Amino acid sequence: MPTPHPELWLGLHCPQLPLLAAWQCDREMPELHAVHGHQRGRHVILQAGAAARRVGVVPGQPLSTALAVAPALHSRPRHSAAERSLLEQLALGAWRGSSQVVLAPPDGVLLEIAGSRRLYGGLRPLVETLCAQLEQAGLPVRTGSAPVAVTARLFARHGLHAASRGAMRKTLHGLALTALALDDSQAQALAGCGLNSVAELLRLPAPERARRFGPELNRHLACLEGRVSTPLIAWQPPETFRLRLELPAASSDSSALLFVLRRAVARTAHWLEVRDRALTRLHIALQREDGGGSVPVRVGLSRPGMDAERLLELLALKLDKLELPGPVEAVELRAESTDEHRPPQADLWNGNNRGDAWPALLDRLKARLGDEGLSGLAPQSDHRPEKAWRWVEPGTPASCSDKRPRPTWLLPEPRPCRRENLRLEDGPERIEAGWWDEQDCRRDYFVARDRHGRRLWVFHEHQPREGWFIHGLFD
Amino acid sequence: MSAEARLEQLLDHRPDLWRGRARRSLPAVPTGLDWLDRGLPGGGWPLGRLTELLPRVSGCGELGLLLPLLARCTQQGQPVVLAGPVMVPGPQAMAGAGVALEHLLVVREATEVLWAAEQCLKSGLCGSVAVWPPAGRVGERAVRRLQLAAEHSPGPTFVVYRPEQSPPPSVSALRLGLSPGSGVEILRSPAGLVESRRLGPASESVLDLERYRRHAHASS
Repeated sequence: MPTPHPELWLGLHCPQLPLLAAWQCDREMPELHAVHGHQRGRHVILQAGAAARRVGVVPGQPLSTALAVAPALHSRPRHSAAERSLLEQLALGAWRGSSQVVLAPPDGVLLEIAGSRRLYGGLRPLVETLCAQLEQAGLPVRTGSAPVAVTARLFARHGLHAASRGAMRKTLHGLALTALALDDSQAQALAGCGLNSVAELLRLPAPERARRFGPELNRHLACLEGRVSTPLIAWQPPETFRLRLELPAASSDSSALLFVLRRAVARTAHWLEVRDRALTRLHIALQREDGGGSVPVRVGLSRPGMDAERLLELLALKLDKLELPGPVEAVELRAESTDEHRPPQADLWNGNNRGDAWPALLDRLKARLGDEGLSGLAPQSDHRPEKAWRWVEPGTPASCSDKRPRPTWLLPEPRPCRRENLRLEDGPERIEAGWWDEQDCRRDYFVARDRHGRRLWVFHEHQPREGWFIHGLFD
Repeated sequence: MSAEARLEQLLDHRPDLWRGRARRSLPAVPTGLDWLDRGLPGGGWPLGRLTELLPRVSGCGELGLLLPLLARCTQQGQPVVLAGPVMVPGPQAMAGAGVALEHLLVVREATEVLWAAEQCLKSGLCGSVAVWPPAGRVGERAVRRLQLAAEHSPGPTFVVYRPEQSPPPSVSALRLGLSPGSGVEILRSPAGLVESRRLGPASESVLDLERYRRHAHASS
């Protein structure tokens, strides 16, 4: 079926995905590492690291054999959830190259690049840029391209590229049958038939193929040749970012946690960049191993943005202060973001208050001091002096219309004192208030000198308790 | 350039070097109080060095003396930091003195006062930082760290001791004793000036012989 616009699909194949997913949160990778799965009641090596392969560990080998061959081998069971999340990460990377992305589980992603390759100035620069970005994100891929999505997926396994349908068929026909990545039963049926290449298989009449190998194979070949189109489900990057990473071993060591968080923050940064959003707050839940609930950690940014290093510094400050009740087995992360864009501002008149540095300093202080540990001050309109001020978020604009004399220092609580030690200088100022909220008070305020010669702000209270109190100091 | 001139230039870059009686021009900013500017070496609050304030009892000028400076900084949009003040600064009084409260930052977490002050100083963003070290003995190391951080700060830095605290041997530029009603007394000054002088809004500078002897003795 001819398509109205000539399509070109790029396939990304990450051959190491199960291995990468199982070992993604380790700080120190053992030299010999592998990942194993369950096949016919046995543990079988699925993939092995380069060093393990060199000493004789091969995929398909039973785990017990592999351990006999290489006693120092560390193998982990396959982690499908982690693989899915890593595949999404791959798709997110692909999203940079095209807005039409399709997942090809378990280890591939497809993207339509007919339009975007022109933007990059050709297929090669596009592929090279994408590969470099993914490699940097820790996801080395193989690529292949073809005008048909399914074929591009197959070509990605072998690193083949074909720009037109003719070239694609030619390349396809030249492939060995073992390269088709068929399922086990079909592969076995084909292995015994004496055919070697795809071209030889296609030379057989279609009814004959259906009889010998089942109707599935014919449909698959038709799809690969582009004679039948396959429905594709477009993938969209998630609207909100959530991530769960499991620690290789439960730990309460903050440096181990920080290592996992570094991974998580890097992925958050990636998501924000792709979605073109700015982070406002990061919610992290450290899940305890003993099932005792999770420990929340929140990091807010005074100015939306994404600076991974700064965020990690804040997290390190938070973790430093955190007393973990027990070892943590997993880290869950949720990003609150905004699409509001505020580029760092340079203050034109005042060279000191440049750009992002002040909000960054506030964030750092808050991370260690807590929200209560750092404040601004604001007057509040209330006649009762102890209610006439409050702590506010730093930077809250405040205006004060009160022109009555008020002391430079206020005591946190009025302190009882003896009248004999005071020499009254000014006053009284009668304050009667609070009858509306049942905190009735009647006081006479004076400015007085104490025996040191300090000027105090004192009051004589009549109601609710009778006596003299110091409330502040005129410095 | 002659070798001597180069040496001179090199020495000028080291404000922490004691150079006898040679009076160098010390970088300073006006305090906003004429009588204080006239009496202080350099004509104001020193920059890049600590100014130590020693009130005889708490609440006898430690904040009042700083208010004109805080007002000037905040009106220019420079943040000012009060780290760990012993009492609550009255917002009405501060606003009345011209302080723009939105640029005022108060560190309330007593255990982290020194750390927070150091961060603020090192950032080089604050118009002025005043530190009240937590109750108890003030370590020499803590003050030295503040001094090192103060060198990065564009504005003056104050360490305010509690009446019961005594300052450790330090490298402060200026040490002022405060007592109620009688202004300010210069206990130590950077320019090799050891005579103790009383400064006050109205009164003339008076040479306090007894204190002079004591400090001359202590610093010898």
